[in-house]
Amino acid sequence: MGERSAAVGHPVDLEALVAAVRSADSSAALVSAARSLAASGEPAAAPVLVEVLGFNNPGAAVAAVDGLIRLQGAAVEPLLRLDPQNYGARAWAVRALAGIGDVRGLTLLVDALGSDVAASVRRAAAKGLGGLRLQHLEPSQRLDIQACCLEALLAATDDGEWVVRYAVAVALESLARGLDGGGESLQQPLLQGLRSLSAAAAGNPPVVQLRARLALAGLDPCAVEP
Amino acid sequence: MAGPSSTSSDVSPAVEQAGAPISEAEAIERLRQNEDPSQQYYGAWWLGRMRSQHPEAVPLLRLALRQRRPRDLGAGVEENAVARNAARALGKLAPLALEAVNDLLEVLEDPDDGLREAAARALGELRAEEAVEPICRRLASGPQQAGAQRPGTPRLMEPCEALLEALGDIGMASEPVLAVVEPFVDHERPLIRSAAARALLQLSGEERWGTVLVELLEHPQLQVRRAALMDLGAAGWRPALEPICRTLAENSLKLMALRGLVEQGSGEPGEPALLACMDELL
Repeated sequence: MGERSAAVGHPVDLEALVAAVRSADSSAALVSAARSLAASGEPAAAPVLVEVLGFNNPGAAVAAVDGLIRLQGAAVEPLLRLDPQNYGARAWAVRALAGIGDVRGLTLLVDALGSDVAASVRRAAAKGLGGLRLQHLEPSQRLDIQACCLEALLAATDDGEWVVRYAVAVALESLARGLDGGGESLQQPLLQGLRSLSAAAAGNPPVVQLRARLALAGLDPCAVEP
Repeated sequence: MAGPSSTSSDVSPAVEQAGAPISEAEAIERLRQNEDPSQQYYGAWWLGRMRSQHPEAVPLLRLALRQRRPRDLGAGVEENAVARNAARALGKLAPLALEAVNDLLEVLEDPDDGLREAAARALGELRAEEAVEPICRRLASGPQQAGAQRPGTPRLMEPCEALLEALGDIGMASEPVLAVVEPFVDHERPLIRSAAARALLQLSGEERWGTVLVELLEHPQLQVRRAALMDLGAAGWRPALEPICRTLAENSLKLMALRGLVEQGSGEPGEPALLACMDELL
């Protein structure tokens, strides 16, 4: 594998990379094998990278998520096929889908933001809902999806964890930037959501207020109080 | 991360009931009754967690604080566990809990070091200046005695980490306080070194203590890197921004640390840079 010729133009030996993941006999070996497989950039590696998400090895899962995000659309179907009962793997899958931004992940991200028990998963789902790639869609379809993202994000503006609300503020800002002429009806509720996050309410820490005010200042300079 | 399938048949009552949401009135009642300590344990936890402003919360927690005796580990939820949770809850209930400072100072002298630890943390959270002298007295013998390992246990003679952190949180930066804390920067345990550097950074703002914490971000043990992240956040040490982002630890903890830099710190790097790094970690 170390030979120069192998690096130039030759197909990677996917079978060997997969075998290394399956036969890893230590945590460190698994991390290393997962990294190599993730770096291959081979669409056929996706199902195996998804398997790695369930191995209860955070280092390997981080590498697999990176690899899956790199594969973009090719990773989506294997991620969506994950058993919802496999909680650990699903939490990582949410991160991968959030990073990929493929619209097929919408339902899973909405469910995760609304009901996952782990704040880190809800946080990733919120960010993902603000960053779906919708440019290639028909305007009416795009608007439907934006409305769906907005509804889920607004519902999460009173999430009990500050970090989720912080992510919601970031996501609302990026969702707003993707709205075009057709999305005017979404503009006001979106800004209202950011205003509620910018309020000095009990239990809403300064960092969340600050982030929401920053978003408002960028989107609607008249909406921010000095 | 425990999945929903991890419930086993031997969960304690307290753990089992933690799943079901209860009302403030219910939490007050659970703490008030004295038949079942596990119910009191949960009631006390709930009131702190929800930052209850109920007029009976602090008086009942003070009563629970008096409910202590020599530790009896055989007895299910031991009674000191209720007092421990009551102390923790009081720490979260400022300003109402300020009337409990004297009770907490008493607990700081309890033979049970777990209780002393909870009382110290609560006194720190309540910024109780009256606690500085008794805490310093507990630490004055230094790393070799207060910080020595208790024979037969992994614990130290004094709950040094909690005592040091409380001094930093209370924020009385006098020479004698600094002189008590400083020797602990050389303690053999990295977590104690981290707590001492955090307190010194909070008290003096001197860069050298920030440097100690930044170096601990590269410690081989994850537990130590996590503690250094939390300590830099508590001190709001903004020059640590880049090292925090590079640290090998969960993004959740880095986000908590950066929140501390935003809320507790000042100066450069400024808020836009801090928030931009937080956005990247979501």
